[in-house]
Amino acid sequence: MNTTEDFIALLRDAMGLPVAEEDIGRTLDEVDGWDSVHLLSLLTLLEQRTGRTLPFAQVLEAATLRDIYALAVAA
Amino acid sequence: MDAPDIHVRSAGTALPGPAVDNATLTERFGMPSAWEQWIDAFVGTRRRHFAVDLDSGEIRHTLADLGETAGRRALEAAGIGPEDVDVVVMGTSSPDLLMPATVNVIADRLNIDGVPSYQLQSGCTGAMQALDVACQMLRSGTRRTALVLGGETCAKHFDVTMDVSSLAPAEQINGVLFGDGAGAVVLSTEPGPGSAVLRHVFVELVGRGRQPGQVVEWFGRADRNADRPPVVEDYKAIETSVPLLAAEAYEELLAVLDWKNDEVEYLLPPQLSGRMTARITEGLSAPQAQEVSLVADIGNTGNALPFFQIEAALPRMAAGDRAAAVAVESSKWIKAAFALEKP
Repeated sequence: MNTTEDFIALLRDAMGLPVAEEDIGRTLDEVDGWDSVHLLSLLTLLEQRTGRTLPFAQVLEAATLRDIYALAVAA
Repeated sequence: MDAPDIHVRSAGTALPGPAVDNATLTERFGMPSAWEQWIDAFVGTRRRHFAVDLDSGEIRHTLADLGETAGRRALEAAGIGPEDVDVVVMGTSSPDLLMPATVNVIADRLNIDGVPSYQLQSGCTGAMQALDVACQMLRSGTRRTALVLGGETCAKHFDVTMDVSSLAPAEQINGVLFGDGAGAVVLSTEPGPGSAVLRHVFVELVGRGRQPGQVVEWFGRADRNADRPPVVEDYKAIETSVPLLAAEAYEELLAVLDWKNDEVEYLLPPQLSGRMTARITEGLSAPQAQEVSLVADIGNTGNALPFFQIEAALPRMAAGDRAAAVAVESSKWIKAAFALEKP
């Protein structure tokens, strides 16, 4: 996963969330249907695809989808 | 003649196997480390016990085994022999078999016979339902002693060969929420050393027009290959409704007893998970109370958990102390509560 397009595709295709690329700046509260279980799915998928573990404490502080993406590519 | 007071004479419990922590589950099922951290943060249940051996998949304990142990411990603690038990009532959502009812297998092993026995198909309010039935039987005046049991085993649902990462997240979470165990109390029309009076028990179905918050299937020859998931939880409905129903049940209990919120010394709140129980408890006003919660260390053992809470609270209660217990069943939605008071 190298781009925000890949990240959005993961949210949309693997997790079934109704998001498009322009939603990358949305806060998690604004993502339709988002809840803590989606966070579990996303963390699991990201760890499986990148082989790296995201810093969990920072993930909990992430406000937007872009924040989580930034942690995923930096991890 | 007034109905006699019903006394909780003793409690006994049983947990199978070693405690299994989140790190062990994460490693055993090859889940990423984020999974363990998420469980710690959002479920808050640290340990649970399973009737199935995680390495071999062998079922090491049946519900009858667990119930027998819990029942024997409760009877011994009360100093009561099987011949003195006048009625047996058990609640479970996960009987070993549909027939014979597990309660009767347990009664046989405990050498209890010639008395009425009942098994309730029940969820998280099953302990209250069983206590209520037993209490009514004792209040009718001809019986003196009841053995009341509750227990669960998720062995049927725990496939140690499964690829957990392929399950829907909600189903993954079920695997860490629940644990196996059994509990029992002896109720009597006579007080005993350290006993508490069961002041009130109530059970109220509030499911009219509500979709079930939890569905557990059972399968037979015709549908044994059905592709329906065996356990489904509407965790959003549970998160929303259980705290509200718990608060209602708690206030209704206090109102019936004419107890004030600051007159409760021990609060036994619903035991869903470490985090959910903390959230629910915030909504129960008991400013002087010590909370008695075990779910974070034994998992959600459903019908068994209120018995573990009674076992923990009973020896701590001093003369005059009051305890209030609340549970909510999210399958077809039931709220329930009971109160104890040390004379």
